[in-house]
Amino acid sequence: MSSTTDNEKIPNWKSDFPIRQDEATHVSRREFAKFLCLLSGGMALGNAGIVIKAFAFPHQPLMGEHLVCSASEVPVGEMKQFVITGGLEVPYILIHLEENEWRAFEQKCTHLSCAVHYRPDIKKIECPCHKGYFDPDTGVVLQGPPPRPLPQLEVVVKEDKIYVKAMEEKIV
Amino acid sequence: MGDFRQAQNEAHPNKTNTLMVGIIFLLIGILGIQIWLLYSALNNALDDNRGIAVAAFLGSSVLFVMALWLLRYVPQARKLTRKKTSQSKYE
Repeated sequence: MSSTTDNEKIPNWKSDFPIRQDEATHVSRREFAKFLCLLSGGMALGNAGIVIKAFAFPHQPLMGEHLVCSASEVPVGEMKQFVITGGLEVPYILIHLEENEWRAFEQKCTHLSCAVHYRPDIKKIECPCHKGYFDPDTGVVLQGPPPRPLPQLEVVVKEDKIYVKAMEEKIV
Repeated sequence: MGDFRQAQNEAHPNKTNTLMVGIIFLLIGILGIQIWLLYSALNNALDDNRGIAVAAFLGSSVLFVMALWLLRYVPQARKLTRKKTSQSKYE
């Protein structure tokens, strides 16, 4: 009698595999389809976040002129790294291209924010992380994965002092 | 007519499989387009190009609604019609 009741007990494996084999394929694929739909909703939400960020918290242009250094500190063909503090600490580079030719760019690569630097031997701004190259004259991408030009500042020289300010007009 | 659906399913057992695979491929396609839209919107918004961000958001939302609509056509799990008095003692 006792052996009959033991046989009728639910075996342990059934609690480990509660879904029948012929149902299992359908269940898992239905769940997968729902998960893909959830991801799709996440993508739409991400896009909404970008729109909110673009309209509610727009990029603030640099206000006023900022002193960087004196012109004699940076010889021709050299660069100097400097930081403008405000709401955010943004690193920039000042490049002395030629006599009386100065350029200032944001130092964060537009690809993955690595620090770029000017290489006078090839006359290009290089991102060492993924070998992206920018034109030191305009900041446009010459080569590599960066999707956008480097943000540029206008350089003003006054009495041997170098100042930077926001660009008056965007160069297209 | 009451057992029309059951008869159809028994005559074409692979139909739900085909439907399921088709829907999953469509959803993966939708997701691929949405990833591309997200990437473009991010790059353009960082470059102060807001128009692309709005257009990408509208496009992505429409694609999400399409994905939700596709879920309606996901086949239900197969209902077992076997009786409890079958041979197997574990059923």
